[in-house]
Amino acid sequence: MNNNKYKVLLVEDDENITMLLSTMLETAGYQVVVAGTCNTAEMMFLSYVPDIIILDLGLPDKDGISFLKKVRENYLTPIIILSARSEEKTKVQALDLGANDYITKPFGSEELLARVRAILRSYRFSADEGRFPGGEFVLKNMHINYDKRKVFIDDTEIKLTQIEYNILALLSEQCGKLLTYATIIKAIWGCSDEGSIKKLQVNMANIRKKLGSTPGQNDYIVNEIGVGYRMKEENE
Amino acid sequence: MKRKAWKNWIITIVILGLTFGISLVLEYRFDIKELIATLFVFAVFLISLLTEGYIYGVCGAIFSTVAVNYAFTFPFFKLNFTIPVNFMSAAIMITVAILTSMLTTKIKVHEVWKIEGEKERMRANLLRAVSHDLRTPLTTIYGFSETLYEKGDSLSEEQKRKMLKGIKEDAQWLIRMVENLLSITKIDADQVRLNKMPIVLDELIDSVVVKFKKRYPEQKIDIDIPGEMIMIPMDAILIEQVIGNILENAVQHATGMTRLSLKVFLLSDQAIFEIEDDGCGIASERIEHIFDGSYSMEAETADANKRNAGIGLSVCASIVKAHGGDIRVENKKSGGAVFRFSLTTENCENE
Repeated sequence: MNNNKYKVLLVEDDENITMLLSTMLETAGYQVVVAGTCNTAEMMFLSYVPDIIILDLGLPDKDGISFLKKVRENYLTPIIILSARSEEKTKVQALDLGANDYITKPFGSEELLARVRAILRSYRFSADEGRFPGGEFVLKNMHINYDKRKVFIDDTEIKLTQIEYNILALLSEQCGKLLTYATIIKAIWGCSDEGSIKKLQVNMANIRKKLGSTPGQNDYIVNEIGVGYRMKEENE
Repeated sequence: MKRKAWKNWIITIVILGLTFGISLVLEYRFDIKELIATLFVFAVFLISLLTEGYIYGVCGAIFSTVAVNYAFTFPFFKLNFTIPVNFMSAAIMITVAILTSMLTTKIKVHEVWKIEGEKERMRANLLRAVSHDLRTPLTTIYGFSETLYEKGDSLSEEQKRKMLKGIKEDAQWLIRMVENLLSITKIDADQVRLNKMPIVLDELIDSVVVKFKKRYPEQKIDIDIPGEMIMIPMDAILIEQVIGNILENAVQHATGMTRLSLKVFLLSDQAIFEIEDDGCGIASERIEHIFDGSYSMEAETADANKRNAGIGLSVCASIVKAHGGDIRVENKKSGGAVFRFSLTTENCENE
């Protein structure tokens, strides 16, 4: 694994951004292949079999979303979307179509690399059968025991309701990945109605309170306002 | 659009119905006939005034003529336009209707123009201020990067690092400026483009503070928000920007600040956001125009450090206003400034 660098497929048409991203990634020890259009991206994807894809949605030939759909038909390769600030709707759409995370332009190298690391790790976890669920999840001083369905902070048990536990377990199983409101609601309640998002937000508020988080001081769960929630990574 | 038409028709029908009723009472209870025609003219006038466009007034006028002719003039309960008096009254009513509608429509159009003009003025003001403000960081970025590219070899490591830091900081500043500009276009285009959804207050504040801490890791903020769950319908990106701008403003301009606090409390259905510092306060000649963007024009001579305030705060004001809220600032007696703005909360009781 050590000599074997992770391969990143970068789908981006702007030259400067491409150079910027490949420099950032290469200095961090990744191998980068670049595609400037959707068509080349599809070809490159099949011939290089990358470990992760970074995808800009605005491409000259086709919409990046169509490439995302095409990949998701047959593959689980993690995908990070590059988006501009004002594209809230496309962001959620891309996530619901199976993108793993998004990063908003402009961004710093730290931010980007943290996302890439987080996603690669959680992807490895989920591919590694038997690790989740059933075992233990540890994040900073929080432990989740999947067998007993119990959550501890510093060895003190945190009393959660069924639903609160289910939400927390779901986020931890996909730790590092941003889950949209719709995804969580579907996984927890099965169906969604008008009040679902509110129900989820109320439960999240309780979870936050029980975990001792206060605004600006959130050790475990990141809230991406208007989009969804993400469990933090160990070194985040 | 359809709803508006409905509203107009309802106004028309209600006014006509009332007039008809009153006329019946006058005619058969009190036997006063002279007032009736005047009453209908008044009704037509009211309809033209309260509705938009010509059609309602004209329809009202036609109905009124028919009604007066049919029910209240000789021969009773028969239509007869051959008598010159009846014909005249019909003509007068329709003329009144058309003229009133024309006048009110004109006034309404005029008002729209006025608002447009106001917006246009503000936009021009901001654009002027912005283009001036963009020049300074661009000069730094261009100058430093050119020097590094052309003469990088002859510079010491420390000089290089300083220049790179300058480039980074000014670029970050440009990023925020562009965000503000994006918000202006979003609001100015039309107020309808606000992307409102119910947001949990806790999550909003969390998101703001996390972003702020990334930018100013050494600055502490005291946070005080209600313990219960509060939902506020808003465009979260924009409101985050309002709070972020005000906080950042405090960091950059409130000289001598030791304490920065962000407080939210409820006043009936209003959530009041209060951002308070104990710095130097705001000069009295500036405080009046601080939200209208014009002050950054005067500030042209001020040092480069102060460049952000004008645009940032006028953007804040437009955003809060677009949400139907109110924003104010005042200096505290004990020193420092308080910014307050309000947003309407959503009823949270239905579980």
